[in-house]
Amino acid sequence: MANIRVTGFKWVPPFAQGLVRDLRVRWALEEAGLPYEEKLLGHGEQNSAEHRAIQPFGQVPVFEEGDLTLFESGAIVLHIAEKSPLLLPPEPGARARVITWMFAALNSVEPHLLALAALDSFFAKEEWARLRKPSALAMAQSRLTGLAAGLGDRPYLEGPFSAADVLMTTVLRFIKHTTLVTEMPTLAAYQARCEARPAFKRALEAQLAPFAKYAPVAA
Amino acid sequence: MGAPIQLTALQWAPPQFQGQVRDLAVRWALEEAGLRYEIKLSGDAARKTAEYRERQPFGQVPVYTEGDIELFESGAIVLHIAEKPALPGHHALLPADPPARARAKAWIFSALNSLDVHITALCDIDHWAPTEPWGIARRPQLEQMVRSRLEILAAQFAHREYLAGEFSVADIMMIMVLRALRHTTLVTDIPALGAYRDRCEARPAFQRSLAAQMQEYARHTPPSH
Repeated sequence: MANIRVTGFKWVPPFAQGLVRDLRVRWALEEAGLPYEEKLLGHGEQNSAEHRAIQPFGQVPVFEEGDLTLFESGAIVLHIAEKSPLLLPPEPGARARVITWMFAALNSVEPHLLALAALDSFFAKEEWARLRKPSALAMAQSRLTGLAAGLGDRPYLEGPFSAADVLMTTVLRFIKHTTLVTEMPTLAAYQARCEARPAFKRALEAQLAPFAKYAPVAA
Repeated sequence: MGAPIQLTALQWAPPQFQGQVRDLAVRWALEEAGLRYEIKLSGDAARKTAEYRERQPFGQVPVYTEGDIELFESGAIVLHIAEKPALPGHHALLPADPPARARAKAWIFSALNSLDVHITALCDIDHWAPTEPWGIARRPQLEQMVRSRLEILAAQFAHREYLAGEFSVADIMMIMVLRALRHTTLVTDIPALGAYRDRCEARPAFQRSLAAQMQEYARHTPPSH
């Protein structure tokens, strides 16, 4: 079997720790029981010609497995899930529904939660961000309400735990600095249920470990 | 033949969104695959009902049904269609070779997550908040971000005509995303990208799906328009 290598960062600022998108890839690999090695980029290395050649947008993660190099965390998680019936059920209808929820996590929920998170982090000091916040908050809440209704009283998005839950949980983490999820009992319980999985804990620890090791010395 | 396919689309959209609503990508994929489908039109009120939200929790289109399978999210639907074996006389929408296939799928995600997210943020300002102080202040940075992403995308076409080499479902999703910028010159400012878009949109299957979407809007134009 080809060795799997996942690219992440040596260090990111505290607000991004536990949120970088290699987390969802590490988690999927842990759930699938696939060992991997990590390649860590130092400050600025994501913009090197070498990295841009395999990730044109200068981001992480990148996934390498033999001759195959993939970027886009959603595509990587789908690729891993296709090797693991635990992450993606083989029955065509269930499989298609899990993939629907994977796209919903990344395209109907994530953009709105990230937009809100960006206002609170990158743009916190900008006047326009203060003015934008109420409408961005309303949009994020509306999508969370849709998600909670879509989840209903089921423990997971589609049948047993799947790749859709890996993506949705990591998406919900983008607003962990707010009380938006904890204010919604259905979603709070869902996130807690998914994050209680040993594979998630191992993935999170694996992402955080280098951040401690490579933390910049305060000036 | 498989189970009958039914697709939910808007019965009408305001002019600035016509030809951009996401059922277009699904219609296009179905046309390329040679699969017949039936359209079910939905009005604004119908999409707010509990019954509709049960099927599409965010109250959007498209919703796709094929026998017992019901899907939403245009990206998931076009991927589902592309994974079907190609019918005789029709072009496969995904490469057969596993690494090339995985790469083509990755470009669907790129279209939606590395481009659409910024393009939609820009278009939201242009359509909903063009005179809001926050929109005016924020727009130049977003336009810069979109330009930078488009330049990177355009560089992909230096040595190939389509994202996966041959035309694939990745191009359907990418063109769908780029179409939101038609009120700007951002795509045509980059000749390689304008040429890519023209190449894809010249396909008869695209032309048929666009005409089908526009025809419904013409038929259901509200009296005030």
